[in-house]
Amino acid sequence: MSLYTDPRIFADEMERIFHRGWVFVGHESEIPGPGDFVTRTLGTQPVLMVRGSEGGVSVFLNRCAHRGTMVCPAAQGNARTFACPYHGWTYGLGGELLGVPYPGGYASFDKSAHGLPRVPRLSSYRGFVFASLCPRGPSLGEHLGAATRLIDRSCDLSPEGEIELSAGWVKHQCAANWKMLPENDSDGYHLGFVHLALFKTIRTQYRRVVGDEKTIRAVVRDWGHGHIEIDWSPGYEGPFEWLGGASGSGVDDYVAALERRDGAEAARRRIVEGPAHALIFPNLFLGETNVAIVQPVSVEECVHWHTPIFLKGAPQFNSRLLRMSEAGMGPASFLMPDDLIVARRNQAGLQASLAEWIELSRGLNREYVDAEGRGVSHVTDETTNRALWRHYRQVMVEA
Amino acid sequence: MGPAAVSEAERSAVTEFLYIEARLADEARYAEWLALWTDDAVYWVPATTDPEADPEKHLSHIYDNRARLETRVKLLQTGHRYSQEPPSHMRRLISNIEVAKAEEDELVAGSNFLLAELSIQARHETHWWVGRATHRLRRVDGELRIRSKKVVLINAAEPLPNLAFLI
Repeated sequence: MSLYTDPRIFADEMERIFHRGWVFVGHESEIPGPGDFVTRTLGTQPVLMVRGSEGGVSVFLNRCAHRGTMVCPAAQGNARTFACPYHGWTYGLGGELLGVPYPGGYASFDKSAHGLPRVPRLSSYRGFVFASLCPRGPSLGEHLGAATRLIDRSCDLSPEGEIELSAGWVKHQCAANWKMLPENDSDGYHLGFVHLALFKTIRTQYRRVVGDEKTIRAVVRDWGHGHIEIDWSPGYEGPFEWLGGASGSGVDDYVAALERRDGAEAARRRIVEGPAHALIFPNLFLGETNVAIVQPVSVEECVHWHTPIFLKGAPQFNSRLLRMSEAGMGPASFLMPDDLIVARRNQAGLQASLAEWIELSRGLNREYVDAEGRGVSHVTDETTNRALWRHYRQVMVEA
Repeated sequence: MGPAAVSEAERSAVTEFLYIEARLADEARYAEWLALWTDDAVYWVPATTDPEADPEKHLSHIYDNRARLETRVKLLQTGHRYSQEPPSHMRRLISNIEVAKAEEDELVAGSNFLLAELSIQARHETHWWVGRATHRLRRVDGELRIRSKKVVLINAAEPLPNLAFLI
């Protein structure tokens, strides 16, 4: 089980998955105005996502071109320039080097060759910004494939077709290997066990997946390229179950806005299905009414970030979305602490390396490929785990 | 004219109340801890140290009304809240207490805390929690009760381990 415990494999994953591949950085709505920035990591490398004075979004390595000092230590903010504290080199919002103190020490100096290093590739889909540290490779469109529909499913719940991430992030420390987060986020088998306390205490929309195995209608799906989904919606019987129910004039206005845009049938489908529950490989989790980031730190430590999605054009839901986010995710919530303590115990158990393999065969007897080529199975099946590992193996062995 | 001065008797009662609340939380005496709160209670742990944080705009770690506070406690009482099963071993020190009068004959108490937590639900690991709490206290049938409690951790915006116990 060295895949969870060997630091050499972790280093290889950072190179092959988090540096060569497409990695989610942040959402354009986090930096709405010129000079707004957030700092993130690509794998373990610090980066800076900035809105330029002309409105474009750039992602730079967060290191000075001179001696490598981290240029911006803040998690977010607004800046006109970024100044390195070490020797005063100063950069503009486009990463251009503006000033070098005491220029007499250089016979000739090409400032244009010493800007903040840009990530080699940057692309976005519906406001979700992805970067790759490798200049070559599949395009973001090729990487996402049909899984763009999962992002659409969340964004199209907004009457304006856009989500906004403006509530700030909660960061939950997890003392386990980073892969346990995408594995658990896409695992429909554990709910009735890890979250038993919650089911014993309150009524939740997840109750439909803890009953008799044969009556559970939710499914898991493999979208290819490591993108994996739990779809609760086949078990939903009416609108807004994903929101714990909703009614009132504000809700009527919202539904009417969706109907004007999409027609009654499509609008009805959207409010019944709700947002996606899906992992976009390797680090973006569409957590229904939340967006989450999987941040690897070291072989036995990672961080799960989350923020609620606000639906642009429907601010009447914001308060509810905030309270749902606090109930479900984060260190003090009613769900994730139990997931992460089990992940911790998982990591502890895997130190018993004499047993080399884990068991992931659940659902091999009943999974099938649907008309769109996606693997599908009962929500408790490990179709998603296998899909993740199949893609992982491909990325980890390719030349 | 400034606010009325806090009497020594009030200051002493508030201090003792904060110590008792801390001990009940430390010892996982959930029902007794819950009984210290008013029916219109608000329990707030912001996810930032920014004093401008607005729980209607920004995500918090905890923003409980009385109903959610009761859910929080009921979860712990099921015996299946695995992130606190068994409960962490905890002791917290309360210090730098400042008490002032507020409107409606209520009292506001600010205090620093330093909490050592031995998490024993997986590997046995010690976590340190440090911050400042602001209690708003009201007399109900002669007894001090918590109308609101805001807990600002010094590392509120950083990655935090499980915070499933009562802080």
